[in-house]
Amino acid sequence: MRKYLAAYGIALQNVLQRRSSLIMDRVGGVAVLASLYYFWLALMNGHKGFFGYSRAQMISYVLAINVLRSFVLTGRGWELVGDISGGRISSYLVRPMSYAGYSLSLDLAQKTVYLGSAVLEIAIFAALVRARFYVPRHWSAWLGFAAATAMSSLLFFVMEFMVSSLAFWTSESGGPLFCFELFIQFAAGAFFPLDVLPKVIRRVLDLSPFPYLVFFPINIYLERARPGETLRVLAIQGAWLAVMVFLASRLWRRGLRGYAAEGG
Amino acid sequence: MTALVSRYFRIWMRMAAMSLKAQMSHPLGSVGFLLGKLIRILFFFAFVIAIFQNVKKLGGYDLADMALFFLTFNLVDLGAQIFFRGIYGARRVVEEGDFDFYLVQPCSPLFRIMFATLDFLDLATALPVFVLLAMVFERLPALGLARYALYALLTLNGVAIAMAIHVLVAGLAVRTQELENSIWVYRDLMFMGKFPTDIYGPAARWALTFVVPVAVMCTFPAKALLGLLSPGWILYSFGFCLALLAFSRRYWLNSVSRYTSSSS
Repeated sequence: MRKYLAAYGIALQNVLQRRSSLIMDRVGGVAVLASLYYFWLALMNGHKGFFGYSRAQMISYVLAINVLRSFVLTGRGWELVGDISGGRISSYLVRPMSYAGYSLSLDLAQKTVYLGSAVLEIAIFAALVRARFYVPRHWSAWLGFAAATAMSSLLFFVMEFMVSSLAFWTSESGGPLFCFELFIQFAAGAFFPLDVLPKVIRRVLDLSPFPYLVFFPINIYLERARPGETLRVLAIQGAWLAVMVFLASRLWRRGLRGYAAEGG
Repeated sequence: MTALVSRYFRIWMRMAAMSLKAQMSHPLGSVGFLLGKLIRILFFFAFVIAIFQNVKKLGGYDLADMALFFLTFNLVDLGAQIFFRGIYGARRVVEEGDFDFYLVQPCSPLFRIMFATLDFLDLATALPVFVLLAMVFERLPALGLARYALYALLTLNGVAIAMAIHVLVAGLAVRTQELENSIWVYRDLMFMGKFPTDIYGPAARWALTFVVPVAVMCTFPAKALLGLLSPGWILYSFGFCLALLAFSRRYWLNSVSRYTSSSS
């Protein structure tokens, strides 16, 4: 465990050291946040609610998207693809540690910084535009939101790890990864609440793990999910996580068996 | 002059043919990227349609108007992506010392670096955008040829502004070998052009008109077509574009004059 903590610490310093990169990354995120905020504000003009969301709830959904994009939908997929395709992964494989564990440490370091930054951005943005956002009345909503967000972050990490592992078989795995990342942003509800979509699409999406990454955690925060439903969301997240861990580890082992260290 | 244009056209055709071959040699990767780009456009379009099943107007615009703004954004963004994709490789060219070779070739290094890649995937993505745009044009009332001509001119003006921004980014890459973040900040800010800039707050609107000209690039062409843009703003659009082009050229020349060839 200590070696992963050390990797986490070094990665944390690395992210914080490249301050201009970090600031520019976050400026881009704020542009998306502002864009969606004003879009929904214009839409809610003259309406008390929309798709079952009160005005404060919808504004909060948009603000929470920024947090979940930072803590859930960021990862090291492209680095993994590069490590496998370029043969750099060989140097990690001979070390006395798990590559997945090492990767998770680095992922968490980046997410720690991004999460802190996202919360700060939201606080400044909300103060600037005097946004009235929704604050959960019950502590269980906070607890459920925190648990669901932690689970969805892990779930995304494993799913991205799995898709990136395709690099063992093809040097063109960047295409599928790009497609996966874009699709997941829409299917997870990271641009708009999924209630907007037609019911048929909603039902299909509910059968997939995607809405459990952003949409359901935010709904828990907004207290649109009853306590029983929160537990159901957490249980489904757990089930999807188990399935994905199983698939990812199988894929990883098979990939490693055929790995020829090309380029390394 | 004709000989010069003909020579540059031949160079461009050669680089386009090389890009096509490169993209065809990665079929899986290319399909993944293409699918991702199509998903992005179609999901957003579906989102806008779904919204307008519940409201009649948004910020004073109806569905056809909003679709026009969204598709105009796509035209400008795709125009820049298709033709100026080479800029994305500028840092590598400078870092690996290849820029020295560009400087000794009988061709403008800016032209060489900027048009090095023609993105055929984005070209394919442009097809559904044109089809959707034709459908939107059909839903608009008869507007007259002059309005459509002005729309085309202002859209081209938007692409020219995007070109100037790409030249600035290329200049930055030659100066500092930093590129990725600045080009991604531009891409994220462009996200705000998906919606008419009228929906944003006064400060954001001002910044998007006079500082980061997303409004001039994406909103003004559509507003001109709808007859909502005054002659003063039309003149401003063209004037801004000319000034930015002149400034970006100066910045590029100045950056090249400071180039030390330290990487080669």
